[in-house]
Amino acid sequence: MNQRYANPYVIGVLLGLVLLFSFYTMGRGLGSSSTFSRVAAAGLDLVAPDHAKKTAYFAEYLADGRSPLMAWLAFLTLGAGLGGLFSAFISRRIQGEVLRGPSIGVSARLWLALAGGVLSGFAARLARGCTSGQALTGASELAFGSWLFMFAIFAGAYATAYFFRKEWL
Amino acid sequence: MGPLYKFGWFDAAYSLQLAGLIGFLFGFVLERAGFGNARKLVAIFYLRDFAVLKVMFTAIVVCMMGLLYFSVFGWIDLSRVYILPTYIWPQIVGGLVLGVGFVMGGYCPTTSVVAAVSGKLDALVFIGGMILGSFIFAELFPFLEGFYEAGAMGPVLLSDVPNIHSGVIALLVSIMAVGAYWLVEKVEQRFGDSEVLPHGSKRVKRAAAAVLVLLGLILAIVNPDRIAAERATPLPEKPPESKAAVQTTAPEKGKPASTGFQIVEDEGC
Repeated sequence: MNQRYANPYVIGVLLGLVLLFSFYTMGRGLGSSSTFSRVAAAGLDLVAPDHAKKTAYFAEYLADGRSPLMAWLAFLTLGAGLGGLFSAFISRRIQGEVLRGPSIGVSARLWLALAGGVLSGFAARLARGCTSGQALTGASELAFGSWLFMFAIFAGAYATAYFFRKEWL
Repeated sequence: MGPLYKFGWFDAAYSLQLAGLIGFLFGFVLERAGFGNARKLVAIFYLRDFAVLKVMFTAIVVCMMGLLYFSVFGWIDLSRVYILPTYIWPQIVGGLVLGVGFVMGGYCPTTSVVAAVSGKLDALVFIGGMILGSFIFAELFPFLEGFYEAGAMGPVLLSDVPNIHSGVIALLVSIMAVGAYWLVEKVEQRFGDSEVLPHGSKRVKRAAAAVLVLLGLILAIVNPDRIAAERATPLPEKPPESKAAVQTTAPEKGKPASTGFQIVEDEGC
């Protein structure tokens, strides 16, 4: 895989400008975690519509009979996928693989990815956003709770990184 | 004056197209930085590569400066920007758990999307996990509701807590960012692989740091909060397309998709 990536400071400036553009045009920042919550709601609505409508947390998504995926952040996430695909394509980084350290097997890595995803999906709902919707967006507008949240992410990850060293190093 | 949407420049249907464009740029820059690669992302937690911190802090500082300067110049009305409300306890606990999920799974939500589209199977599995995690949260919500609302403070800003104006906060944030860059580069030099890490010119970095702190200093002196408060009354900016019937509808009112010009406020993550 081509690993020549752009300078992080340059990317940071560009990302800041994208975020500023979003604030200037829409009055809101970026985000993506709620899209996965909406996918969960849509899936549940497909399989068990009665149960989905009784699930209080999903009720807001399913109100007024529209698809829960007809939402601003869902379109943003769709765009992020296309933008990432385009960038990976022009740098020849599209390649089927499982990213992992040299001392872990494929299936162990995939189980950890699943567990990490479950924790992240749960945590993002609890905190009302993720690294983009809560940390990046909230910190730029100087929202108090978003700064707490951002430092909590680093604290949680650094505190437990030791236990996952075999997965990555 | 921005935010354009709040002043009726375009409607909800067009805003979804704009979301696609903003998302495209978002995903594009993340992939350029190498954030479709879990090993690159988690390297920050093993002190080898702080790209995640550099990108995040730089984006935050650039956007923060942009918002405050736009406000000073009268280009954006910050009172119409959606401010994320603070709920102290769920945000701290959610952050801690998200951090564990990050180092365990290798991604955060948006980076997993960028990784999955470039063929990383682990990222696809991570996304499946996030959908499952959201489902579990929704099922357990009746038991979690009390904690979900714990420590509610409303949309408070950093400047509200010690009650100093946001220009001073901007100066402090810019100094903190420069300090963090200096520190993590020292750490990277010690633990990282100098073959892989980007080499920037020292002179450019120093100049950029000086400009950043200077921009913060100017804000600390001009006090953007006072300027915004003074402007709020004498300047009732007319939206350029005020002839169009602007209807502001709350999402829970349950309106079927209308064909007319419609502005929906559905912020929140």
